[in-house]
Amino acid sequence: MEQTLATLIFAGLAVLLIGLSLVVVTSRSVFRGAIALTAALGVVAGIFALLGADFVAASQLLIYVGGIMIIMLFVIMLSQRPQDHLDRQTNDQWVWGVLFSLAIVCALILQFRAVYRGVFADTVAVPTTAAIGRLLLGEMVVPFEAVSLVLLAALVGAVYFGLEKGERR
Amino acid sequence: MILSLHHVLMLSAIVFGIGVYGALTRRNVLGILMSIELMFNAASLNLVAFNHFLHPGEVRGQAIVIFVITLAAAEAVVGLSLVLSIYRNIKSVYTEKMNLLHG
Repeated sequence: MEQTLATLIFAGLAVLLIGLSLVVVTSRSVFRGAIALTAALGVVAGIFALLGADFVAASQLLIYVGGIMIIMLFVIMLSQRPQDHLDRQTNDQWVWGVLFSLAIVCALILQFRAVYRGVFADTVAVPTTAAIGRLLLGEMVVPFEAVSLVLLAALVGAVYFGLEKGERR
Repeated sequence: MILSLHHVLMLSAIVFGIGVYGALTRRNVLGILMSIELMFNAASLNLVAFNHFLHPGEVRGQAIVIFVITLAAAEAVVGLSLVLSIYRNIKSVYTEKMNLLHG
């Protein structure tokens, strides 16, 4: 019963995610696309929670929806002109784009169906935060510190690119 | 019908394909960045699904997703500040206008 309920919830979230992703890549207004992307990231967080990854779902909401998307919306509002929504938003290669991505999707789906069909999980969801914390500061401490260095570099780079021309030296 | 691993993987493949389509065909740089975020999320979905179905009780896949999210944040911040800088210089966010090195 619970398994069926989880499957139903997953099906609903999957339909929602695919629809929102299509809006992200096809919508004529970039701002509407960004709003759809925000919702899609929230749906992905829901799927994470469904798959027992509670801490990852929370981080997804905090960092993606609360952080990245806010910056992205600000940049969109700073860089749009009023006539933008009248322009075509796809380039001339969209037929080849459709074919290429369809090829990728078909290849991936055939592989996944062939290899991972009928792999079920019957585990009860347990809190994962403490385990992730121990893993990050134990076995994975070197990549953890490396990532913090990358974040610092990204911060400095963003400030540098954000400066006006005369302020750079 | 019970949720199986290949259902989640198929969903992430579809989302990844949509992201590839967007990255290939969007004219707007911001649209391309958003499509890349979609692809990042498809990959994270795969990691969490493999963690849940193949290694229950472990959290390594989820820890890698934390790294993916962090690096996506770094990428987005640098990418967006580059977009703003380009917009200040050429007053456009369309890729066909960014042909300074085109000769």
